[in-house]
Amino acid sequence: MTVEVLSGNHAQSEAVRLARVQVVSAYPITPQTTVVEGIAEFVASGRFPTQFVKVESEHSALQVCVSASALGARTYTATSSQGLLLMHELLHWAAGMRAPIVMGVVNRAVAPPWALGADHTDTFSQRDTGWIQLYAENNQEVLDMVLEAYRLAEDPAVRLPVMVAEDAFYLSHTVEPVDVPAQEAVDAFLPPRQGHAILRPGEPSRLGSFTSPEDYVLFRHELAAAADRVVPTLGEVEGDFARRFGRSLGGTVVPYRCEGADAVLVTLGTASTPARATVDALRSEGKKVGLLKLRLLRPFPESELRAALRGVGAVGVFDRAYTFGAAGAVATETRAALYGERERPALTSFVGGVGGREVTPSLVRRVFDHLLRGPEEGIVWSDLEPHRELETHG
Amino acid sequence: MQEVRFLGRGGQGAVIAAELLAQAAFLDGKIPQSFPFFGVERRGAPVTAYARVSSEPIEVRGSIATPDAVVVLDRGLLRFAGATDGLRENGWVLVNAPASVQAFAAPAGIRLASVDAARIAVDHHLGSPTLPIVNTAILGALARVTGIVSLDALERAIAAAVPRKPQENRAAARAGFEEVRPLTDPRSRLPLPPPRPRRELPLPEGPLALRSSEEILTASWRSLRPQIDLSRCTRCNFCWKYCPDVAITLDAEGYPKLEEEHCKGCGICAEVCPPKTIAMVAEA
Repeated sequence: MTVEVLSGNHAQSEAVRLARVQVVSAYPITPQTTVVEGIAEFVASGRFPTQFVKVESEHSALQVCVSASALGARTYTATSSQGLLLMHELLHWAAGMRAPIVMGVVNRAVAPPWALGADHTDTFSQRDTGWIQLYAENNQEVLDMVLEAYRLAEDPAVRLPVMVAEDAFYLSHTVEPVDVPAQEAVDAFLPPRQGHAILRPGEPSRLGSFTSPEDYVLFRHELAAAADRVVPTLGEVEGDFARRFGRSLGGTVVPYRCEGADAVLVTLGTASTPARATVDALRSEGKKVGLLKLRLLRPFPESELRAALRGVGAVGVFDRAYTFGAAGAVATETRAALYGERERPALTSFVGGVGGREVTPSLVRRVFDHLLRGPEEGIVWSDLEPHRELETHG
Repeated sequence: MQEVRFLGRGGQGAVIAAELLAQAAFLDGKIPQSFPFFGVERRGAPVTAYARVSSEPIEVRGSIATPDAVVVLDRGLLRFAGATDGLRENGWVLVNAPASVQAFAAPAGIRLASVDAARIAVDHHLGSPTLPIVNTAILGALARVTGIVSLDALERAIAAAVPRKPQENRAAARAGFEEVRPLTDPRSRLPLPPPRPRRELPLPEGPLALRSSEEILTASWRSLRPQIDLSRCTRCNFCWKYCPDVAITLDAEGYPKLEEEHCKGCGICAEVCPPKTIAMVAEA
């Protein structure tokens, strides 16, 4: 193992090289571009013998991965925002054809108006496509999650594609120390993909072709069954990862100081970092608050989330996206998951950090103050007022 | 934890400067983080980047509101209010400027230093004389005045991370380290520009942010300005036709007039002018 100072995007590139991915196809889009640049540099320098397929769009990039995956190859692509939206049709194909593709998604705001900042609307709007969605808080998690994602995707119990999501700029272009495991250690954790070739050139067959209503439902039912196996399989994968590499990502939901908490904030991605610091600050002031970091959004880890929030008085959910005509997406999911509980905590949906606005400890403090005052219906837009600084140049 | 804000223009290497500082700090055994603020990614556009160096794990992300040092790669950016906002008491403002320039817009209670990073870059063949890549020279100067990283670690970080001209960049860092001049004379401070009033634009009634581009002042990108010699102008209007930003208008007699607030200094007008009456000259 060596520690290197890497951006989130280069953590993706390193993980893809270490995973010995066989086919990479991607189309550049800010802020994803440096993921693919990093991979291209590995290929050009001879360090990474992969098939790098250049294409004219994200739609084609994912088609390349779907086809190569059907032939049994380990494949990777990466995109962001509009690129992910353009892939939408192929996202369904990938999941429906049970192609264990791993895709890095740099979460970026969706136009219009054009924007580059971190926002989860791009991946939230793909929740129904059949892809597993994992969200990273730091660059170490980015690298580790990509490696775990291949084990999870290719597990015979799952066989589903995985998105590894990281926030634009706050991870993609932020450099920080990352422990890069040795190739041999990764090889032992992640052996070559086996037994998954659906199409074999010597044995002509069809994949994804026409079905009758009688058959179609069976495919959807199998997809649902696979979704149900994601959480237990991820637990096994993470257990093995922790044994081999000595660090754990902490499961599908990661509680922090939730014991005896009056109020807990649920976060996704980099908002968890200032939230954790704020929980420490508030706890030292005697306020009983905690943090629940959500790492898996699809499938939604309902029972883990319920268990983690049991006994909590008030739950706030901080969404870095506005979901049309509803509360924040994570808030809606969390509320639905809690419906099965006998004693349900009050839940407030906070929207903030949208389009890349900074989620600062002072913003999180305001959110906790609001939460401790009592629940509120609808959406609380937590940071609408103009932001300090940054408007220094014309 | 020490925090540094870098102000530069696209092409000068501000983002890489912040990242190299992080790499160097790591080689010194510290925990680093760096982060760029991206707007338009274009040569000449203002760029802000940040670096944090700590001996403890860093629990924050994003931009830096209260830096210990502000590194100004293009001193023209000091014209804009907010460049040194939040700078801590006794913090450093380090400016890339020729030795002839001795006075800078700087707040009281800070320490000021300057280094001719542009000349050092040109001496070491980094970038072009009109757009020198000044980041490694100014990092050497930063290492000297703040001690945030050792020169040795900075040189090793450059050797490992800079793909082109690593030796020249290392030499530029050493030269910046040697040549940086702290300015102790109080006359070296000019009054800070007044804060630009935040214009309260009403939210548009339509679905999109409808805003005239006339309101967006893009002149801050300019490092070279077109100087038009009207005595030789033939009123062919090529400059007016070719200007991509409508930053050249025509007066009543058909002579070109520069719109100061919108010209980005791209130089297309000088390029297309048939009698070559337009010269691109450095901003003061």
